[in-house]
Amino acid sequence: MIINAASNTNRTDILINEYLKLLNKGIEAENILVIVQNSKKKKEFIEKIKKYSKTGNIGCLKIFSFYGLAYNYILENWALVENSIQDDINRKISPNLCGMEVSQYIFKECIKEIDFSGYNSKTSLLHQLLRRNSLINLNNLSKEELKKRVDILNESYSQEANQAINKYKLKTIEKRAFDYIRQLNIFEFLYKKTKNSFEYVFLDDADEITPAVVAFLEEIKPTVKEFFIGYDKQGSSRLGYLGAINIDFEKFLNEKEQIIISNEEKFKNAQNILNSIRKNEEIGLDNITSKTFLKRNEMIDEVLSDIKILINNGIKPSEISIITPISDEFLKTSLLKSGFEFNFLTKNEKLNQNKLIGYILELLKIINDTQNKDISPYILKGIFIELLNLDKKETLKLIQEYKLKRDFKGSNIFDFIKNKNFSAFIKLIEIYEEIRFEKLSTQLYEIIKNFIKLEKEISKDIYKINQLLKQIYGFEEVFNDEVSNLELINQLENTIISENPLSDEEIDENSIVVSSAQKIIDYSHKTKYQFLLDVNNENWLKQDIGPLYNAWVMQKSWNKDSFELEDNIELTKDRTARTLYKLYLLGDEITLYSSAYDSLGMENFSGIDKYFKFKNEIKTKEQKPITPRKDQEEVLNYKGGLMSVSATAGSGKTTIMLLLVDKILSGEILDGVESKNIFVLTFMESAARNFKERIKAKYPDLKELPNISTIHGLALRIIKENNNYSRLGLDFDFEIIDEIKRTSILNEIIYSLGIQSDKIDLYDSAISTYKNELANYGEFDCQNRLFLNVFNAYQNKLKEQNLIDYDDLLLLSLKLLKENPDILEYYQNIVKIIIEDEAQDSSFIQQNLISLLGGKYKNIIRCGDINQAITSTFTNSDVKGFREFMKNSKNVVMDRCQRCSTGVLDCANNTVKWSNKEKYEAFSDLIMKPVDGVNLVDKNSVKLELFKEEKEETNFIINEIKKILKNDPKATFGVLLRSNFAINKWDKIFKENSIKTYKNSDSLINNPVYRICLLILEFISNPYELKITKEIAQELFEFGYYDYDAVKYANNLSEPIFLKEDFEEQFYWDMNYFLFKNHYSIYDLVYEIGAFYFSNSIHKDNISLVATIAQKISLTQKTFENTISKLREIQFKNNFSNIKFFATNDNSKKNAAVQIMTLHKSKGDEFDYVFIPELSQDNLCFNIEKYKLKENSKFIQKMKKYPKTEEELKKEIIEENYRLIYVGITRAKKYLYLSCANNYKYFGKMRETNESEIFEGLGEYIEKN
Amino acid sequence: MNILKKIDTFSANSLKILENDLEEFKNKYIYNLFINKKDKRADLGQKFHNLICAYLKGFDVSKIMLELNEQEKNIWQNLKTILNDNKDNFIKCEYSFLIKEDLNNKNYFLTGRFDAIYKENDEYIIYDWKTLNLPKNPADDLQSVVYLYCANKIFNTTTIKMRYLSIEKLNFVDVLFSDTQIYKNRIDNIIKKLH
Repeated sequence: MIINAASNTNRTDILINEYLKLLNKGIEAENILVIVQNSKKKKEFIEKIKKYSKTGNIGCLKIFSFYGLAYNYILENWALVENSIQDDINRKISPNLCGMEVSQYIFKECIKEIDFSGYNSKTSLLHQLLRRNSLINLNNLSKEELKKRVDILNESYSQEANQAINKYKLKTIEKRAFDYIRQLNIFEFLYKKTKNSFEYVFLDDADEITPAVVAFLEEIKPTVKEFFIGYDKQGSSRLGYLGAINIDFEKFLNEKEQIIISNEEKFKNAQNILNSIRKNEEIGLDNITSKTFLKRNEMIDEVLSDIKILINNGIKPSEISIITPISDEFLKTSLLKSGFEFNFLTKNEKLNQNKLIGYILELLKIINDTQNKDISPYILKGIFIELLNLDKKETLKLIQEYKLKRDFKGSNIFDFIKNKNFSAFIKLIEIYEEIRFEKLSTQLYEIIKNFIKLEKEISKDIYKINQLLKQIYGFEEVFNDEVSNLELINQLENTIISENPLSDEEIDENSIVVSSAQKIIDYSHKTKYQFLLDVNNENWLKQDIGPLYNAWVMQKSWNKDSFELEDNIELTKDRTARTLYKLYLLGDEITLYSSAYDSLGMENFSGIDKYFKFKNEIKTKEQKPITPRKDQEEVLNYKGGLMSVSATAGSGKTTIMLLLVDKILSGEILDGVESKNIFVLTFMESAARNFKERIKAKYPDLKELPNISTIHGLALRIIKENNNYSRLGLDFDFEIIDEIKRTSILNEIIYSLGIQSDKIDLYDSAISTYKNELANYGEFDCQNRLFLNVFNAYQNKLKEQNLIDYDDLLLLSLKLLKENPDILEYYQNIVKIIIEDEAQDSSFIQQNLISLLGGKYKNIIRCGDINQAITSTFTNSDVKGFREFMKNSKNVVMDRCQRCSTGVLDCANNTVKWSNKEKYEAFSDLIMKPVDGVNLVDKNSVKLELFKEEKEETNFIINEIKKILKNDPKATFGVLLRSNFAINKWDKIFKENSIKTYKNSDSLINNPVYRICLLILEFISNPYELKITKEIAQELFEFGYYDYDAVKYANNLSEPIFLKEDFEEQFYWDMNYFLFKNHYSIYDLVYEIGAFYFSNSIHKDNISLVATIAQKISLTQKTFENTISKLREIQFKNNFSNIKFFATNDNSKKNAAVQIMTLHKSKGDEFDYVFIPELSQDNLCFNIEKYKLKENSKFIQKMKKYPKTEEELKKEIIEENYRLIYVGITRAKKYLYLSCANNYKYFGKMRETNESEIFEGLGEYIEKN
Repeated sequence: MNILKKIDTFSANSLKILENDLEEFKNKYIYNLFINKKDKRADLGQKFHNLICAYLKGFDVSKIMLELNEQEKNIWQNLKTILNDNKDNFIKCEYSFLIKEDLNNKNYFLTGRFDAIYKENDEYIIYDWKTLNLPKNPADDLQSVVYLYCANKIFNTTTIKMRYLSIEKLNFVDVLFSDTQIYKNRIDNIIKKLH
């Protein structure tokens, strides 16, 4: 019998009915084999048989998943296997049919013996090999079949991989230890050797079976009386991916199939989904709706609020499912905080993520390593409170005492507690003496027996503890004493629970299921409401390809001679079609949720949203209409082609670009251009985010936003999308090196080569320069040997650790486009229009990328202002390219500045004149003009002030600001400085004079979430230090969370706050709450702190970023305390792991009158009053004779193919100084103050200096005014 | 809460616990509040179970039995003699069963596994290997009750006995089938504790 029916039919019931008929006929259950998809399906099948069978003997049921069948078959026939194994030494009465944790350990050991030299992903080698091995086995590939695939893929490491797999196989035989994949091999050997005893075979979900199953069925077919097969002809979601294969069952059985359809309309819709996706067409259905958001937390909030509405309307939690490929910490934590019950089916959870297990493992570590002097006090606190049930205050006192002792003498923890008269300690020591030399399983068992009360409340934990124990038993059985307890703990900590397919998953009726699409399909989990999350994330379409395996090509059915990008795209599309078809059949109301950014602030791209269309899709929010000025209008008249826009400071460039995108979206400019075809490139990440927010605000329901990103963001997409990275020999988990990691690698290299450590920054930029030169000119001989040594060592390090750097991002994406015509064509078809902002800062490679990407439609708009090019001397920006483009394109000039007062405007224009007079080519000939009736008219709005002493200058500025604030309390001030390190000096001066400031810098600590979380973490790790407690009160008062009473309270503390009993004080409660809330995972802890103090949407996103940073750091640090020190250590860095905070509307920024920042950083900003102090010749020189070229600048030239002469270089730097001051000047809306003193304190010493030439150069014009 | 809704399938072991202590039963089988313990004796028992079964099925066990230590090998030699003597009567080993029962219009299920089934003339003998000691009151033991009750349903005969055999001591004790209704009443009464 063959039943072709979708999963929403009663297919399985029909099969069960047939099964019962056989039983009623007197067929013994033990002669009927039932193969189902997984253990949940098995349970359901058995339950139904139990329900519908007659009372009395049902029999010996043989209902299995295929893995279960193999497992049982091996156990029953093991002697046959053992007798065929050559070695006599390791013989076993029964084999170790172990979990993945054991085989992973064995595999790890085998890899050590094989040289994968040059392989770039040491971190994921194990994963790669496991995946390869499983694909080979599931697909039952013969040696020849594998060889063919190795050739198709042109694999570089196939030999090593095969060697590793063979070694692994031998080792598993030696150990008689077989995981579920390995069991398939043994099973195959066995069923070929034994007689089949099954007369009848049932097979449900037969579209999901793998070639390994098919081979078994073929083998037993001649001896089976009848087959009963249920399947969905439309194909499985695993087809061509996780090993499933399409079988013509009619041919297999030589029998006609029966077709069953229920709910015809739904089935038709599902088929329409299938077909339209295959044809690349959009489909709209009444029961599929969509909700789009900018940030992921907004999306999750909406999901929770939708759930709330449903539940309030009487919908049961079990009728809702959340389906997403990204079940990360952020999602989990946010959902769990909501108070609803959730059941996470995708358990990519590590054992020690469970708090109880975490502390138990820590205690076991201590027991097995008593010499460890580095026990984290934080962990010890958790063990004392959570496991030993000690009083909390007592614990903190003990910990303090322990810390002191440890720091002085290196006290052993057991020696320490021996002298303490606590019953829990006495018990612990007793047990410790008993179990210290025992196996880990015994130790664990005894600890649980003695310290954990088995109560209903912790039943989920107990389930996990039993899983842990099972793993340990498995390990001990296989390895006996080969693996030490400590090693074993380490292995267990890193094992993911879910890897074993035989493990049971319970679905609780009172909880909402959160799962991957595949699991929902595997379980045929039907729910009325399906919430599909992150639908615009690439992970929905993630392909399973790596350097050592290719899930498509390694299918049994692969019959092409090559593997092209097109194959990848088509196969992915087809799989997506089948997945969504199956999902649709399992839900009634489907909502698609998406957010422009993921929880790490990275842009989402390329998801499944593109396959759906919705009614009333583009609604625009009514906004105040903007009437463009005449000079702006021309931009909006764009009709395609190449256009350059020269826009002066304050000309309203961003607004016009938004209007332009708006117009393009409305279809007024070019036909057939949709969001996905529009590419906007900004210079800064913050600008891209801002741009997106504004488009989103205007089109709240726009399904897909235009592509707005930095060039690096776009490059990353090109490398990641469609697995393009595999063409670069990169592994899927490659990462972009961040500043901190880069510094540490360079430090190591520089040290080993005997170079002075202060040269790091120099080598850092030299590497970047050299890489760009290589990209521009190809290989050339760099003159500096020492540098080449550093460079090569650096490149090797990156390769070893599967890292790329920011320069590589651009280089590699360019390489992909240049060397792969198919990839180039793919993007050229998408990129119908490309708009670049800040084009004057664009690098050679960036410009190359833009012209390649826009190469087909050639609609390229580049906006910029040559006069504001201020990055060319320290980045690879190439203003010449923009000048060239201006010549070859239609050039539109926006020369009206509506920002600056007329005096300031003149001053800026005079800077241009002055530079021209001095014969520099710093500027274009663009002269800014005011907008009638808009700019403040005040010819005397610029002041040049010279002072003798530094103090006079600061006093002047402070008095001036105070004076202005008296008349105009809402005035804004910018203090613009030449260098970063002056920021703190000025901040201090203002603070001393009670002027509120805001330091505009990208440093981590400048973000309030980072700052406050770090302070609380420091408090938790050291509640004894009153200074920290006081700082928290002050900081949170300034942030606006506590009133001043909290500060007063904290300042009056004379002993640690946990010793007090000030129950009326909110601050007291809050601090103690955090102090005693033992979170094993630092992610949870940071999330909890963040969620406690921050409630607005921007901050909430940053909470997940801070938590991720903390978690990532904790992976590299031994203890909690070290993690916290590291978080403090990196506070002034701009980012960690390339995680960029979302811009905050930090209260301190809103409340601050004065913003302090560098001149460079000020670009794009504006203030009523601008102060540019410390304009000395040292800081900003305009005289080529006096300018002393730094050694570093000369050094960098050596990395260039065509090094500049010193003269040329000096000229360039001075020209950039002109533009830098020009940028500073044009920030002022009302008044501008340029000042300098003749004596400044440098590193504690007074130094005389001359004022910059600017006072003379500009003074001339100002006097004339 | 109707516990029967959650737990409707019982083994001799779970019935034993339920008979003695309802709370313990709930903790173990409903809330899963127990910690898996593996002891050496159980390991040894399992080893012998597997070895016996392989031997009875006719596999060549000369290699796998080498895993045993000297003392265990002695035990095995003796045990083998007994198994050999009775070889012709062997039917199957490790046989799992599932029996559906009625109780006040509701169903419950009995499950378990016979270590080995023999048939001498018309009599079915259900073997249960014990590692060391035999049950003290075998006739009253719930395992005998459940196994004999189920065997009766499976083989449709009352000519059944249950034989506990000590692997180490090689002594055994037999329990003859007595009365279905008595068995049924005892089992039903235990399960009623959950109603």
